[in-house]
Amino acid sequence: MSQPKQPQQVLQLKKPQYALGYWQKVSLSIWLIALVILPFADIEIVNFDPFLELTRMVNGLVTPDFFATEYLLQAIMQTVNFAIIGVCLGLVLGAPLALIYQHPLVSSCCAFLRAIHEIFWALLFLQVFGLSPLTGILAISIPFAATFARVFHDIINQSSDSPLEIIDRRADIISRFTYGKIAQVMPQLINYTRYRFECALRSSAVLGFIGMPTLGFYMETAFRQGNYSEGAALLIIFIALIGTIRYWCPPKLLGVYLVIACVTLVDIPKVDSSLLVRFITQDILPPAIANAATLAEVQWSSLMTWFSALLSEQAIPGAIATITLALLALAATHFISLSTHMIASKHLWPAPLTWLGQFILLVGRSVPEYILAFIFLMLLGPSMLPAIVALAIHNGCVIAYLAVKQSNAIAPQQIQISKLNQFNYHIMPTIYPSMMALLFYRFEIIVRETAVFGILGIMTLGFYIDSSFSEIRYSNALVLITCTALLNVAIDIISRRLLKFEQTSQTSC
Amino acid sequence: MLTLANLNLHYDKTAGANTRNKISEKDSSTQVIFDLSLTINEGEKVAIIGPSGAGKSSLLHHIYQELTTRAALCSQRQGLVDNLSIYHNIFMGALARHHWLFNLVNLIRPFKQDLHDIAALCQQLELDQPLAKKVDQLSGGQRQRVALARALYQQQAIFIGDEPFSALDPLMTSRLLDTVLARHNSVIMVLHDRALAMSAFDRVIALDKGRLILDSQQQSIDQAQITALYQTSAIA
Repeated sequence: MSQPKQPQQVLQLKKPQYALGYWQKVSLSIWLIALVILPFADIEIVNFDPFLELTRMVNGLVTPDFFATEYLLQAIMQTVNFAIIGVCLGLVLGAPLALIYQHPLVSSCCAFLRAIHEIFWALLFLQVFGLSPLTGILAISIPFAATFARVFHDIINQSSDSPLEIIDRRADIISRFTYGKIAQVMPQLINYTRYRFECALRSSAVLGFIGMPTLGFYMETAFRQGNYSEGAALLIIFIALIGTIRYWCPPKLLGVYLVIACVTLVDIPKVDSSLLVRFITQDILPPAIANAATLAEVQWSSLMTWFSALLSEQAIPGAIATITLALLALAATHFISLSTHMIASKHLWPAPLTWLGQFILLVGRSVPEYILAFIFLMLLGPSMLPAIVALAIHNGCVIAYLAVKQSNAIAPQQIQISKLNQFNYHIMPTIYPSMMALLFYRFEIIVRETAVFGILGIMTLGFYIDSSFSEIRYSNALVLITCTALLNVAIDIISRRLLKFEQTSQTSC
Repeated sequence: MLTLANLNLHYDKTAGANTRNKISEKDSSTQVIFDLSLTINEGEKVAIIGPSGAGKSSLLHHIYQELTTRAALCSQRQGLVDNLSIYHNIFMGALARHHWLFNLVNLIRPFKQDLHDIAALCQQLELDQPLAKKVDQLSGGQRQRVALARALYQQQAIFIGDEPFSALDPLMTSRLLDTVLARHNSVIMVLHDRALAMSAFDRVIALDKGRLILDSQQQSIDQAQITALYQTSAIA
């Protein structure tokens, strides 16, 4: 009976199926996750009158006062000094490690060192060296060395092997390696170092927020006291400093600057070795161990209670807040990077407009997240909202900046379509995958930065670390810093497993 | 000098190069050379011809592996270092002759003697470019001559070349081929130009689909046979 029906069924067109593409799924899930966790996040505006504060800030911004800061020149000099010496020391330590980075022990050590933010390093060294330049330099150079090791290793690994195959096998390993590999990747290594120098300047400025005598110190003071004209001036100087690196610090002059930096560095006070010994043998140990004279006297039960209390009351809530904030920031960063890329794309706008867009990107990526978060906190009060906005603006602008560089290099299709169609059908599909790769790469950085925001009063891991330090409970701080580092390492590993696309390690900061 | 008996080679699709030709995973590798037996004597000038995909490059790289300490290779993948100058790329041929410290200093400041030698070599190869020019600014033919110069500068007794003249015009090809033949005791070269192979080399061997088809040492070869070889391959 069903026979006659069949031809009809064949004729009837099946409803066309169109499955979601890979990147559509990925983008959708970022936003779904953000929507799901949004109700649990604390994003209310606490400040009762943000507009009053905003008008005062804008007023300050249009009337910058460049002469209000007393030690402005010294502040700029110290900011640059820490960055230069920090990067050079990082290079000296990190470059040799790059050659043995394939060893699991080296790579996991580096991952751990890298996962601890410069500010946490500085907080640690602050207890030992005080406000000595050593604190600032070491805080920059240790995580930077670990990053140099990994990125240099990646760059060398990704380079072509064909020159090595041609070189006579009897040539010694040093000659083969320098001619076949190092010479090949030298421009990339120099480029990356230059980029890291920019990052070091940002870190150096941010170290001012915990008391180092850099630009950040004066910036924080100015903003906290409501001297917005002075604060705006410092911010403008800082953005100009980063925007003009290539003019005042070409790679050839780096050696000269290093010498100048070493000469003009404020005096390093003598390190009190007894303090160092005390810190290592007493202060950073948990009370249960520090109070015990021998191993036998250690009260294991009290040690366990201390540890589990620390974990359940501080580490875990802090970690949850950190992850929540980071995931929300990821979605917001996605939005900002798409929209700012559009603003600055030469495929959509005439040249003068794209310059404006480029300028916005420069400002957005020059100001460290930490300083942005600080400013938004003054505006909106202590909640997750200022942190999300700050992370989204900075990281979104970094991603958009790199994406614009890439998309502007694409030749438009030779067909007659409008600019908007060209943009949506040719430019975006071409660069979207690498934009997403950058976004996920920045996620690691977002998590790292989120933890630090705790110092500003947001209840992430950094909040508990900062309180431990101010309560002089170094043992607690050390455990929490370790937890933070492990969280970062874990997220790094998971995201690498989940997303098996080419990681562009060139953009880590 | 070299004897190959019943050689079987596999091309590893996953890796770019066919240096490790072990019969490991059948899925990821295809066989490119089948039961090939060949003896090459000291002093011979051998040309390898055959249609594309016949396995010539695989065979040549295998021969280079066997002779690696005595031979200079001029590969199709030139392996030039784009960021180095013409001078440094050619000097790479001489790395084994010097101490590493000498090589490092030379990277920063070229030595007069080598500068002189390499300038002379470039002149012979009709490469009239400043030695300090980076090789990424060169044309295809110029790059090929830099790769050739580097192989010559290894100053080995045996030259192994994989179409080292493919980007050059016929006249320059025959001039440079004369230079290569004169500077080396033995030469093993994959060539595209069948007529040149027949005229300039002592011995011509032909490969097809991974098998040795013709060997001028065993039988006399004429033009017709070679033409037939390329035609059957084109049909199949």
